[in-house]
Amino acid sequence: MSDITKRKMEQIAQMWNARGKGLIKHMALQIEEVSTEGVRVRMPFNPEFCVDADQTRLHGGILTALLDSVFGLANFVAIEGVSTIATLDLRVDYLRPARSRADVIVRAHCFRETRHIAFNSGNVWFEGHEAAEIARGTASFALTRGNTSLFDAMTKGKAS
Amino acid sequence: MDVLSANANVSRVPFFRFLNFEIRSLDSLHAEAEMTFDDRLIGNPVMEYYHGGIIASFMEATAAIAVHPDFADVPVKPINLTVDYLRPGVKGPLYARAKLTRKGKRMASVSVITWQTDREKAVAEGLYHFLLV
Repeated sequence: MSDITKRKMEQIAQMWNARGKGLIKHMALQIEEVSTEGVRVRMPFNPEFCVDADQTRLHGGILTALLDSVFGLANFVAIEGVSTIATLDLRVDYLRPARSRADVIVRAHCFRETRHIAFNSGNVWFEGHEAAEIARGTASFALTRGNTSLFDAMTKGKAS
Repeated sequence: MDVLSANANVSRVPFFRFLNFEIRSLDSLHAEAEMTFDDRLIGNPVMEYYHGGIIASFMEATAAIAVHPDFADVPVKPINLTVDYLRPGVKGPLYARAKLTRKGKRMASVSVITWQTDREKAVAEGLYHFLLV
């Protein structure tokens, strides 16, 4: 991750790990790798996200939410001078039933960035089973650029 | 199936309890539900908007109920989804209406719309496919 400044890495860690509220905090996401080439994030197993009473099968929706979150992180890392990032559209294919109590791993990257739009794709699997992807997603994001950095808004805004 | 027994099914699903929604109406082609805002559903902590993935999850849940109101016994298999995000989902209740566009022997296609104060001003629209076999 030599292409990312130490300051930006600190910002990322602060933004994600010190969030006061919201789904990302509730999912207890852990950033494992970060570079402009992409990011890798871990979501620990959480029985609240299951569909069955035995709590062994994740609802597809949480995988969709996970992809959406990690796309946001990938964009924040890859794109300079962004003031807001809004999801425009999202497409997810559920490739297999998400039946496991293992941690979920997501890898996502921004494969194209223009002044107004970012395009992302990502893959989801259970730890240790990278060959058996459970979901794959693509999304596009509307960007606004300006002097108000997203990081400043996140850390110094009213949500603190 | 009546709304009361459908909501009893909803309360048995851990993730649906997490989302915290209730079915408001149900017929053979439609399902309508209302989700209550909560801090854990926030995606943008500065503006306190709903998380996009939560909106997609709520739409998927409503779509699945439109396909199979008795989903607790007959689990539906989601194949894929496409969501168009039109407006931010702000603090307050979120409503979803799912319409079963086509239900064949093997496949179902469901379109879902979500809104807050004005039905004409959609927060998001989604298209969901389910495998029935």
